[in-house]
Amino acid sequence: MRIAIADDSALFRSGLVLLLEASGARVTTQASSGEELIASIFPARPDRPARPDAVILDLRMPPTYTGEGIQAAAEIRARDAGIGILVLSTFAEASYASQLMEAVGYGVGYLLKDNVTDAGHLISQLERIVAGETVLDATVVRRLLARKRSAGRMDTLNPREREVLARMAEGRSNVGIAKDLYLSPRTVEAHVTSVFGKLGLDQTDTDNNRIRAVLAYLRLAGDQDGPDR
Amino acid sequence: MGAIALRRNRHDPAAEPDGLREPSAAAIRPRPLRFYLGIAAILAALGGLATLAELPEWRESPTLATVNLVMSLTFILTGLLLRRERGQRGVAWALILAGVFRSLDFIDAWNTGPWPVYAVVFGGIDRVFGGYALLRYPRAALGRIQWAYLLGLAGWMVLSRGLVVVTSTAQSTGYPASAWWPTISANPQLSEIFSTAQNIGDAIFAVLAVILLVRRLVETRGLDRIVIAPIIAAGLAAVFAVTATTIAQVFSSISVGPTDAFVAESLVDVLLPLAFLVAVIQRALLARNLAGLSARVSAGADLGRVRYALRETLHDPTLEVLDVSGSGAPVPGPAQSSAQSSALSSAQSSVLSSALPSARADSRLVEVIRTDAGAPIAVVIADAALERYRGLFDAAVRTSGLALRNAQLQAEAARAELDNVRASRARIVAAALAERRRLERDLHDGAQQRLLGLAARLTAAMSQTEDPGATAAFAGARDELGLVLAELRDLAHGIHPASLVQGGLAPALEEVAERLPLAIHLDVAPDRVPPAAEAAAYFAACEALTNAVKHARASQARVTVHVTASQLEMEIADDGAGGADPAGRGLANMIDRVSAADGEAGIDSPPGHGTRITLRIPCG
Repeated sequence: MRIAIADDSALFRSGLVLLLEASGARVTTQASSGEELIASIFPARPDRPARPDAVILDLRMPPTYTGEGIQAAAEIRARDAGIGILVLSTFAEASYASQLMEAVGYGVGYLLKDNVTDAGHLISQLERIVAGETVLDATVVRRLLARKRSAGRMDTLNPREREVLARMAEGRSNVGIAKDLYLSPRTVEAHVTSVFGKLGLDQTDTDNNRIRAVLAYLRLAGDQDGPDR
Repeated sequence: MGAIALRRNRHDPAAEPDGLREPSAAAIRPRPLRFYLGIAAILAALGGLATLAELPEWRESPTLATVNLVMSLTFILTGLLLRRERGQRGVAWALILAGVFRSLDFIDAWNTGPWPVYAVVFGGIDRVFGGYALLRYPRAALGRIQWAYLLGLAGWMVLSRGLVVVTSTAQSTGYPASAWWPTISANPQLSEIFSTAQNIGDAIFAVLAVILLVRRLVETRGLDRIVIAPIIAAGLAAVFAVTATTIAQVFSSISVGPTDAFVAESLVDVLLPLAFLVAVIQRALLARNLAGLSARVSAGADLGRVRYALRETLHDPTLEVLDVSGSGAPVPGPAQSSAQSSALSSAQSSVLSSALPSARADSRLVEVIRTDAGAPIAVVIADAALERYRGLFDAAVRTSGLALRNAQLQAEAARAELDNVRASRARIVAAALAERRRLERDLHDGAQQRLLGLAARLTAAMSQTEDPGATAAFAGARDELGLVLAELRDLAHGIHPASLVQGGLAPALEEVAERLPLAIHLDVAPDRVPPAAEAAAYFAACEALTNAVKHARASQARVTVHVTASQLEMEIADDGAGGADPAGRGLANMIDRVSAADGEAGIDSPPGHGTRITLRIPCG
C-alpha cells in the first residue's frame, strides 16, 4: 500500500514512517503541511509520481494549528475520490470527528495518535478506509458512550442498539459487529434497521444510511456538549 | 428742646417700590477721591449749621451739644454713604433728614423768636425719619402697618404738642417771655391734661415701636438679619432711652427735662446712626465670605458640598442646589434673575416642587450653573431675600459654578484615566491569554508530537525483533511513554484547554465535567464569545467545580451559561456544605480573573445550603 503523510512534526512523521514500513507499507510522500502534501500528490506536471492509496493527515498543522487536516482532507477528496483519508489527532472530542465525517463522507478515518501503537492494527484500519469504510477511534467512541445523556433521539435507542451503532461508527461491517457481539448477522441487521428507523433515516439507502447514522450519532452525541438541543 | 416721647425709632419715608438690588456691588466698588471730598464738604456745611443752631447750647451744656453734633453728623455721613446703594436712596435720604432735624431739635436754646415753639412741636420729627430708615433698611419698601405707624407717630407728636402749646404760655413752659408763643387760651389745667395725654400717647407709641422692631427682627432671615441686628438693637435701646427721659421729665414735673437725662439719652441715640454705619459697612464686607466659600468648594466640589457651603455663605438654610446635568431638560436662561415658575420647564418645576415642598418656586431666586459649552450642570434656588445681595449671590454662584465645572473636568479626566487602565488591563489579559495558548500549543505540537513520534519508533522497533526480553523492554518503555503523554496532556490542558479554543465553553466544560467525580448538569449555550471572556468563564467554572468537590463535598452541581448580545452570564450551583469564603485564595483568584475581564462575580454560600456563584462578563 502506498501512503502519503502530512505532519508538521518531523519526529512523529519519521516514527510513523518506520512503523508503516516495518509493516510492509510504502510511504511515497512526506510533507509538513496539508498544502505541501496536496502539491506533491497532485503535481502540475504530467509525470506525477505514484498516486497514494491513502493519506495520513495530522489534524493540527501550520499555519493556524486548528483544523487544517480536515480542510486538506476535503480538498483531497474533492480532487481524487479514490484516495482513502486517515486523520490523526490527539483530541478525543467528537466534534473534530464529526466535522471530518461531514467533510468527507466515506473512506475516512479519525484515530488518536496515542493509539497508533500497533503496526498491524494501523495497516488493517488503513485497508478498511481504502475499501470505503468509516473508521472511528475506539477511545472517541467510548467517550461518546460514556456521556450522560439528557434528552434527544439518542435516548430512544436501547443499549443493544447503541452498541451496534457504536460499532457502526467505528466502521465495522454487520458481520464484524455480529462477531464482536456474539449475535447472528440477521439480528445485527434488524438492530441496524431499527437504529435507522429511530434516527429517522431512509430504510432503503443502506450504504449512505450507515454514514448518516454515524453522523447522526456523532452530531447528537456532540450536541450533548451543549444542553438540550 | 421739648418734652418728647419717643425719639427715634421708625419712620418712613418714601419707599421705592421697585426691586432693591445690587446693594453690595455698589458698596464694594472703590469710590473716587472726589466722593470723599464731597462728603467732607457736605458734612462741614451741615456741621456748621448744626453748631449754629445749637450755639447757646454749647455754653449751657457742651457735653449735650457735642453728643448731638456727633449724632447728626453720623446720621448724615451714613446717609451719604448709603445714597449710592441701589434701592436704598429713600433710606439714605431718611438718614440725612434725621441728621439735619436732629440738629434742629435743640434750636430752642436760642430762647427767642419761634425757635422754642418749633423745638417743642417739631422736636421729635427726626425720630420719624430715623424710624423709617430703621424699619425699612435694607428692603425696597415699607409695609403698610409700618407706614401707618410712622404717619400716626408724626401726627400724634405735632398734634399733642401743639395742643399743649396753644393752652400754655412761654413762661409756663419754661421759656423766657421773649419767645414767641401761639397761646390761644392759657389754661394750666387743660394744658396739664394735654401734657398727660401726650405722655400716655408717647408711651403707647414707644410700646408699638418695640413691637414693630422685634417683629422685624423675627421676620428677617439670613444675611438680612445679620445686617439689621445691630440696627434693631440700637433702635430698641433708643426707644428705651427716650422712654426713660420722658419718665424723668414727668417725675421732675418740669417741661424742660434735666440736661443729664438728655445727655444720657443722646448718648444712647448716637448708637443708632453708628449701628447703621456698621450695617452699611458690613454689607459691603460680605464679599469676604466668598474667600471662605472658594476655599471650601475648591477641593473636590460636589453638589452636596456646594450646597452646604452656599447655605453657610449666604446664610440661607433653604438654599437648594439641584443636579440637572443628566436631565436634558431645558433650564432657565443664565440671566434669569428672579425665578418665575413659567420660566421653568415642567420637568424642572416638578424637581423644584419635589425638592422644596413648602416653597413656592415663583418666590425664589434661581440661577443656573452651566458648563463652558452652555450645558446646564446645576440649578441654585435661594431665598428671594438674597436679591438684595445680588452681587454677593452672583459671585457665590459663579465661584460654585467654577468649582463644579472643575470637578466635572477632573471627573472626566479620572474617567479617561480609568478607561486607559481598563484598556491596558484588557491588553494584559489578552497578552496573558495569548501566552497561555502559545504554551499549550508548544506543548501540544512540540513535545507531545516528539513523544508520539518516539512511541511510533518504539512500536516499529518492537516489530523488528523476536526476542521476548527486548519486546518486553520496548513495551515497558512505550507504556511509560503513554503515562508521560497523559501527564503532558493534563499539563497542557490546565494551561489552556485546546477544546476551549476550538469549540468554546460547551465542549470545554463537558471535558471538565467528565473528569470530576461529581454529577454535573450542564446547560451551556453554544454561542462563542471573545476568547478573554471565554477563558475567564472557563477558569471560574473550573475553580467553582473544584471547590464543590474538594471543599464543599457536593454530590451534584449545575452549570448554566447564558449568552446575550452584550454579556455572558454564568451560574454555578452545588448542593455542598456552603460557607465558602470569598476572600479565600481560590475564590479571590476567580473574582480577580472575572474582574480582569471587566466582569463581576457574586457568591452566595450560606453554610449548609450549598454554594451559588453567579458571574457576568461583558462580551459586546
